[in-house]
Amino acid sequence: MARLIRTEKEVEGRYTEQWVVVEGDDAIDQWPRGPGAVVGRPATRLDGHQRARGQAIYTADVQLPGLVHAAVLRSPFARARVNKLDLSRALELPGVVGAIGPDDCHVLQTEPGYHGAPVAAVAADSFARAREALALVEVEWEELEALLDPEEAVRQGSVHEEARRYERGDVDGGFAEADVVVEAEYRTQTVLHNSMETHQSVVRWEGDTLEVYISTQYIWGVRDAIARTLELPPDRVRVICKYMGGGFGSKNNPGDYTYIGIALAGRTGRPVRCALTRREENLATGNRNATIQRLRAGARSDGTLVALDGEYVNAVGWAGWSGPTYGPVEMLYACDNVRTLTHGAKLNLPPNAAFRAPGFVEGTFGLECLLDELAARLELDPLELRRRNHADHDLADGRPFSSKNLLECYRRADAHWARRDEVRARSEGPVRRGTGLASQIWYGGGGPPSYAWVRVGSDGRATVITAMQDIGTGSRTAMAQIAAEELGLPLDRVRVELGDSARGPYASISAGSSTTPSMGPAVRAAAADAGRQIVEIAAQRYHVEERVLSLQDGHVVNADGGSWPLEEVTGLLEDAQILGKGARGPNPTGMRVLTFGVQVADVAVDVETGEVKVERLAAIHDVGRVINPLGARSQVEGGIIQGVGHTLSEERLVDPQTGRVLTQTLDAYKLPTIADVPEMVVELLDIPDDHLTNLGSKGLGEPPIVPTAAAIVNAIRDATGADVRSLPVTREEMLRALAEARERERLAAAPA
Amino acid sequence: MQLLRPESLASATASLGNGSKALAGGTELVPLLRSRLVEAETLVDVRAVVPRGVDGTRIGAGTTLAELEVDPQIPQALREACALAASPQLRSMGTIGGNLLQATRCWYWRLKYPCYLHGGSLCHARQGAHREHAIFGNERCASAHPSDPAAALLALGAAVRTDRRELPVADLYRLPTDDDRDVVALEPGELILELEVPQPEASTYLKAMDRERFSFALVGVAAARSGDETRLALSGVAPIPWLLGSPDELDRATPLPGTAYKVDLARPLLRRALAAVT
Amino acid sequence: MLELRVNGALLEVPEPPVGRTLAETLRDDLGLTGTKIACAEGHCGACTVQLDGVPVLSCITLVHSVGDAEVTTIEGLRDHPLVDAFVRADALQCGFCTPGQIVSAAALVAADPEPTRERVRHALAGNLCRCGAYPRIEEAVLTWRD
Repeated sequence: MARLIRTEKEVEGRYTEQWVVVEGDDAIDQWPRGPGAVVGRPATRLDGHQRARGQAIYTADVQLPGLVHAAVLRSPFARARVNKLDLSRALELPGVVGAIGPDDCHVLQTEPGYHGAPVAAVAADSFARAREALALVEVEWEELEALLDPEEAVRQGSVHEEARRYERGDVDGGFAEADVVVEAEYRTQTVLHNSMETHQSVVRWEGDTLEVYISTQYIWGVRDAIARTLELPPDRVRVICKYMGGGFGSKNNPGDYTYIGIALAGRTGRPVRCALTRREENLATGNRNATIQRLRAGARSDGTLVALDGEYVNAVGWAGWSGPTYGPVEMLYACDNVRTLTHGAKLNLPPNAAFRAPGFVEGTFGLECLLDELAARLELDPLELRRRNHADHDLADGRPFSSKNLLECYRRADAHWARRDEVRARSEGPVRRGTGLASQIWYGGGGPPSYAWVRVGSDGRATVITAMQDIGTGSRTAMAQIAAEELGLPLDRVRVELGDSARGPYASISAGSSTTPSMGPAVRAAAADAGRQIVEIAAQRYHVEERVLSLQDGHVVNADGGSWPLEEVTGLLEDAQILGKGARGPNPTGMRVLTFGVQVADVAVDVETGEVKVERLAAIHDVGRVINPLGARSQVEGGIIQGVGHTLSEERLVDPQTGRVLTQTLDAYKLPTIADVPEMVVELLDIPDDHLTNLGSKGLGEPPIVPTAAAIVNAIRDATGADVRSLPVTREEMLRALAEARERERLAAAPA
Repeated sequence: MQLLRPESLASATASLGNGSKALAGGTELVPLLRSRLVEAETLVDVRAVVPRGVDGTRIGAGTTLAELEVDPQIPQALREACALAASPQLRSMGTIGGNLLQATRCWYWRLKYPCYLHGGSLCHARQGAHREHAIFGNERCASAHPSDPAAALLALGAAVRTDRRELPVADLYRLPTDDDRDVVALEPGELILELEVPQPEASTYLKAMDRERFSFALVGVAAARSGDETRLALSGVAPIPWLLGSPDELDRATPLPGTAYKVDLARPLLRRALAAVT
Repeated sequence: MLELRVNGALLEVPEPPVGRTLAETLRDDLGLTGTKIACAEGHCGACTVQLDGVPVLSCITLVHSVGDAEVTTIEGLRDHPLVDAFVRADALQCGFCTPGQIVSAAALVAADPEPTRERVRHALAGNLCRCGAYPRIEEAVLTWRD
């Protein structure tokens, strides 16, 4: 029977209430803790060979008959008015089949508010020709004064929403009773996602249906957004994404480019590819926005936090959202008196977009560095300070956690933390070594709705069908493992068909670390439904009771020791098939579902040249049950490496006069290379969350990037005594902080 | 656009000049053509006529950086400079001759701001974002020269032989002036054929960059010693590779607010480079 | 027509304009879409192919300057043991950079079948991976013959 449930849904820290329908019986007991036959054991990627051999077809590789290519004219100014736009000369160029301006497509702008805002677009028989035609579009620009300074924007009231205010307890009272108060301002930079496959889509009308091939993290979100905008019945938009080349939060919606493609397809009657260049990618597809964080912490001499106060300015840009930079201060520690004030500055800079744990990466950097400054003042071990302030329930709303094993993470961190004397002792000459740590808190519980089907054929093989996407995290493989475990099948007898809204049920967004915790329970429920039917069939065929039968190792097994190969049972069906259906049930009522962890970094700092090397990073995270230890380790390592880039080398720079983006290319914007990677130790607790779904799994895409910057910067302080409070830690920032530390020492040593 | 593939030096030099461009590894020219920073009607593929390979102290200008980074015959500073330059693929493609002629990575210049180097009146970097920019010779244009091998060759006292003359590497470069914004002193159509690289007693190249590999120098330091004489040269600090008479000359640097750190960064590198060659 | 030697075959493409790159020709004219274009200006390595065994960036190689060099793309390396090694070591996530990684790695192990960790890092520093599969890539190349 279909059950209608009112439940709370969380994506990237934003909660909404919604109705969901749960079909069938999702009340399946979790598997026992520890590895099963397939789940919890390392599995190589189902699609690994396809991808490695270059056979996987990404959106970038989709070829369609008659395909034409769009190029987008973007504002060269941070703020401007288009007084005149003439497409006629562009349209005259041979090979050009269509051109559009702001009157033809709602995403094209007459008053662009950032460098890179789309203004017009051309379609031609080749991308090169379309680019050529762009040069023939005649535009009369009127450059307007740009607002670039986030603090100035807040002063002027140029903000995205009302300032967010939060307070619990008595903060002023807390500071009054504190034995020690520390205060500092932290800054984080703007960081660009730079997925290897740029944002792009190919659109085509097939009869009354709009087909959209798109590199996306959310097939259904794209379908629904386009349908809403075009006022089409949703199923007349078909969204396809079989393989995609990275998103990291930036590919959650159709994007301007898809609407441009749709408008040009309507205009030309041809399929249209609108693919961004790398330079456009770094202008107009979002970013992790810069932040300014003024933080204050008060503690008693035993380390008990008695007050936390944070004022945040999120430099959101022209559009986007003011993210939860305040989250860690409000949620990470057991502090009764907490106050935050958060502004989202509206600026003439490119819009932000979710980027792997948005807000929490930035906020954790500030809070966890401040905590180490506090530990130094208190002469308390930084790990001990964190233990003493462990929160055993959610102080923001009084709810219990569905599961929390952060103290166990700390216990495991001891071994890495205990190395720090030995690490420091390895300092030699100008190279000083040190160790730092930081805690992690983030969401990752997923939620309904999400659906899956499992089809078992007469050959005893199963196919999981759901219109989800695998954005490179290995979700395809994890879903196959879950179905295989439930059906007692070896992994090589399970396929996964995904990536097409016309060929499978609704599936979750792959953002907010939600794919496994959202989709996994639905897949398990669907496999269980199919398995139940197989057992029913076997019971009737072999005249035994259902309760003595189970599915194991490709067989239907009788408790008395007898067994039948699965294909013998399903073979009875000939062309008939067993179809199982499954839905994701709700999250536990009245509980907070969160992920936790700690990272310990060892660094080497050359105090003469300011060179910082991250030599080792141990990551210990509590993300519930681990489905695929092999893929999970890769996710954690990848998150840490993005964190290392965020900490040391990545920064979007804009011209301070004009607000134009300067780091558009990958020589100027410095992603980590293989040579920048530290030794990494990954430990996942693998303790299922007893309260969360039939799996007990949380997501782990985002947790590993959350504490990395703070752990590294705390290690730098340990190694050198220098206070780095601004990211990235370039040579100039490191040399500045070292000089400041030397000056402080000199003053301290000088007679008063 | 057309592409010529001359078989003889005479026909190659006859085809050059008049706005045509010599193409060898293409790592610089092709991206510049594609981003329209360089326009050319004619490309002249000079690979058949420019010598390639190392013979004692002579290096063919068509030798790739990848070949040089592992060649035991050439001085260590040049080997190290090649090994730390660019990426493996770019080193496999790019020639030493072309490397010497590469343009600055100044983002204003690359993004076609009408800057001094492009013939305008203003250096946008001086008022703008300039952490990668110059601390010497930066009064009119604050761009930084990106070549690692050029600094090594400068310290080594190398010379280039072109199709019409021989000149020291030091004379290959000139600061841009109001009359001529070019940083290279070659005549139109002049083609570098060979390098003459004296063998020092000791040499080294040290490079500070934003990541471990595949990044242009914030500061690169080359040192080469022959007998009592040690020559020092820097990359990434001026619109051209910069010869430094002594480490003390750093005191005469004219950094911008955002490049002052490069002076502090150059000091220990110079000290280390000197220690390595003595 | 322009003749190209690709993965052991002599192929013809309609005479392209001077300025067209090898990457564009491979992908758009020959349908060899295993070679990816991620930056199109020589900064990321996704488009890496071999010319006579040497890894180069096809996005900034003019197709007219290839001449009679043998072009090896990922399609020519599909049975290379590195492919299995990459899958085994989980050396890919989204996979968009992976063909370029394997083409670079294949040139490395051909020259040095037992490369050190340092050499792997030096030889693959021109292949960016935003997912951060680097430690697994390193492992795959170090264990390619297992």
